[in-house]
Amino acid sequence: MASPNADGIPQTSWWEIVYESLKAHEVRLVAHVPDQVLAPLVREIEADPFFEVVRLTREEEGVGVLSGGYLGGLRGALLMQSSGLGNCFNALGGLPLAYQIPFLIVISQRGRLGEFNPSQVPMGRATPRLLEAIGIETVSLERQAELAEQVDQAARTCFATSGPVALIISTLLSGGKRG
Amino acid sequence: MDSIEAVRLLRERLSDEPVVASLGTPAFLLYSAGDRPLNFYMWAAMGMASSVGLGLAIAQPSRRVVVLDGDGAALMNLGGMVTVGWRAPPNLVWMVLENGVFLETGGQPIATSERADLVAIARGAGLLNVASADNPADLGALLDHALAEPGPSLVVARVGPDASRDLPPLDPVRLKHRFMEELSRTGHGHESSP
Repeated sequence: MASPNADGIPQTSWWEIVYESLKAHEVRLVAHVPDQVLAPLVREIEADPFFEVVRLTREEEGVGVLSGGYLGGLRGALLMQSSGLGNCFNALGGLPLAYQIPFLIVISQRGRLGEFNPSQVPMGRATPRLLEAIGIETVSLERQAELAEQVDQAARTCFATSGPVALIISTLLSGGKRG
Repeated sequence: MDSIEAVRLLRERLSDEPVVASLGTPAFLLYSAGDRPLNFYMWAAMGMASSVGLGLAIAQPSRRVVVLDGDGAALMNLGGMVTVGWRAPPNLVWMVLENGVFLETGGQPIATSERADLVAIARGAGLLNVASADNPADLGALLDHALAEPGPSLVVARVGPDASRDLPPLDPVRLKHRFMEELSRTGHGHESSP
């Protein structure tokens, strides 16, 4: 799957690294709301029978689904755009944080560098501080070189310390959504 | 029928089925009907019991998973009902206590008290074995059917506004450990887990 970059050096895309890390950490349950940046990651996951996938109506449901999955023995990840994070907070407080239930939250960043749509800016800009305010460990993924190590350490922290960890896919890494 | 009677009809049919109970009245009634480690009592996140049940049903495909919900909580997560209908876990049984009010906050009326029809909504969302009962004999028959047939099933129990103040332990982390330990003691976990 690796394709050469401009210098002819094979380069793995960000989503291939995240996909491999989810599998390496036995994260089998994936709940998501569609997003253009996350689309290739979701396509790969949905094509792989290793994963159980739940297509959500609204992001908050994913917090419930992954909490229930973990109680039943499945590690999970919630995939969504930063705009959907706002739909999740009461459930995040009342389930994974209160009951100490871990899962990964993979967030495609809107509203910051490279944004074309002013209406995405308020929620997008607030995303890291909102996560910090409720006490969720958050890692911003910006550079390819550190990506595999960051995702691996985030997954280890999440499941070893029984708390959700958020991974923000920066537009610096993904290129963002073009208008 | 009294809501405690409806919950007792569920309780007496349970063996190794985990039950996820929505916060407030459903959780208090389930505790009142007889505590067991496989009862997962929610203390917040209103509306999420059915979504928790969906994830649990996917993770535990070899046994029935029961959600005990209220009509207010079911209305709060109607999007989740569509998700359950689409993902369609055959082992999920969703029981809704319908009293037409927000009981815990003072009995304020909700849409099911007049025009909203949970049975029609659930059928439209793709759930199976959808029916309602307003007396113990009918409810018992509906629960027997839902617990035996492929789902996802939804059973509406039309109940009065009787409450319970019998509070489950207020320690979420303990409730989680107790529930997970009993699940692993009584079952085989996810069928594809190592």
